[in-house]
Amino acid sequence: MSIITISSDSYQLSQEIAEKTADILNYKCLGREILTTIAETDNIPESGLHNALDGSKSLLRMTGRVRNRYMACIKSAVLSRLLNDNTVCCGLAAHLYLSGVSHVLKVKILSDFKEHGSRIESEKKFSPRKEQHWRKFLEASQIDKTDASRYDLVINLGQIEKEKAVHIIIDTVKDRKFMPMTYSINCIEDIELESRVHKLLIERFPHSAVQAKRGSVVVKIRTFKYKKQEKSNAIKEMLNKISGVVHVDVYVKNYISWH
Amino acid sequence: MSIITISRGSYSKGKEVAEKVAGQLGYECISREVIIEASERFKVSEAKLIKAIHDAPSIFERISQDKKTFITYIQSAFASRLKRDNIVYHGLAGHLLLKGIPHVLKIRIIAEMKDRIATEVERENINEKHARLFLLKDDKARRKWTKSLYGVDPWDSSLYDLVIHIHKLTVDNAVDFICQAATSEQFKTTEISRQKMEDLALACQIKAALLEQNFDVSVISEYGNVLVYTKASDRSVYKLEKRVKTLSREIEGINNLEVRSGMQFPPDVI
Repeated sequence: MSIITISSDSYQLSQEIAEKTADILNYKCLGREILTTIAETDNIPESGLHNALDGSKSLLRMTGRVRNRYMACIKSAVLSRLLNDNTVCCGLAAHLYLSGVSHVLKVKILSDFKEHGSRIESEKKFSPRKEQHWRKFLEASQIDKTDASRYDLVINLGQIEKEKAVHIIIDTVKDRKFMPMTYSINCIEDIELESRVHKLLIERFPHSAVQAKRGSVVVKIRTFKYKKQEKSNAIKEMLNKISGVVHVDVYVKNYISWH
Repeated sequence: MSIITISRGSYSKGKEVAEKVAGQLGYECISREVIIEASERFKVSEAKLIKAIHDAPSIFERISQDKKTFITYIQSAFASRLKRDNIVYHGLAGHLLLKGIPHVLKIRIIAEMKDRIATEVERENINEKHARLFLLKDDKARRKWTKSLYGVDPWDSSLYDLVIHIHKLTVDNAVDFICQAATSEQFKTTEISRQKMEDLALACQIKAALLEQNFDVSVISEYGNVLVYTKASDRSVYKLEKRVKTLSREIEGINNLEVRSGMQFPPDVI
């Protein structure tokens, strides 16, 4: 039940590598075709899901709230599919929400810019001005795009061929460290439960934070003191209907608080 | 037959990986030897050379002429060493000098901060807080140094062929990947890549010789045809041309040597 996530600056490239890897390993391949299903199930525009994965926050395009909701839907759908089978996942930012799971191999593929540069530019539809805007957003959010520590392996296709890259990935995933163990399976099940809970809560409680561990769910929200009980009860009622939830605790922080 | 450069932060197990790769492939492993060779060849103390490549320039300080000269000495020793092939190099920014040489496999090794702290605490016998501060300061200085010298961020993954995160992947995994990659066709020395390496070594050697006499120049060589670029005034250009004439007799491998002043420097000059 190993999981491989493949990220790249070009979705087509990550899909190509993912499909080749999945083919050889006889794994399932999970890509952006899942967004169509998510759009139908959650009644969300599919283009919105694509933008949430590709674009930056912008007041003119998509508010943070909407983007967070779309990402919560994507996260929940992706994680539910990753629970069972050996899977290669690409183009769904899965490396971001699977960071604590030990049997996930996170790979980044850097394209040979000379060969793929124009394709990347057209995929992203980023003008230089928008690229600058995106860079400033990353700096303000203290996100270091050069940080390779999010990945286990970064492969540059400038000199290394795609087939070689696929073989490196395959050889790596055979290491016993990428075999699922009880602890890591529990870890991914907890993350999956968190994502389902968060997806349910996010529309009504957009600033909620969720943690889950073996069925016990802790929800943190911010609200006015006088609404504390009402909201707490509402959350518990919503969550008790979710399968896998054994116990719910709600921590409420006052909106008006010096701490 | 190739050259492997391994870039790493302090206590990131890069040295260990380099030594194991060299052992497995039967290559020579070098790091400090380049400093020693530069020191012997150019008659400068090792301490000065190490200071030049370790200390990043401050915000108010441009790179001094001395520092530029010492760095050029190191580059010259480095390039001439690498002409021999079958080398694993681990050290500061070697891969950036070798940009454009096809048979160089560029690797970056990164490690988890907590693992690096643990290693430093054990080796240096200091507490965790100091170890962390030191590592952050060292990382910042290395980044600043590379940016000021080469204009690129050393943490940018696109500068490397492979970036390996030592955490779930072990040192032995890293060694296997590197050895696998090194034996592929793309990293085998060809006549063209060997010539490029020769040209690079020649350009570095000429630049070092000119910098010794305070000529601020940039040099490029192609099949032994060397172009020396300068922004100096006419009088200095005359002196430079005189010096360059003597150099073309002193240094082997030069087919033609010209001075160009008042022109835009091509992007791949040394």
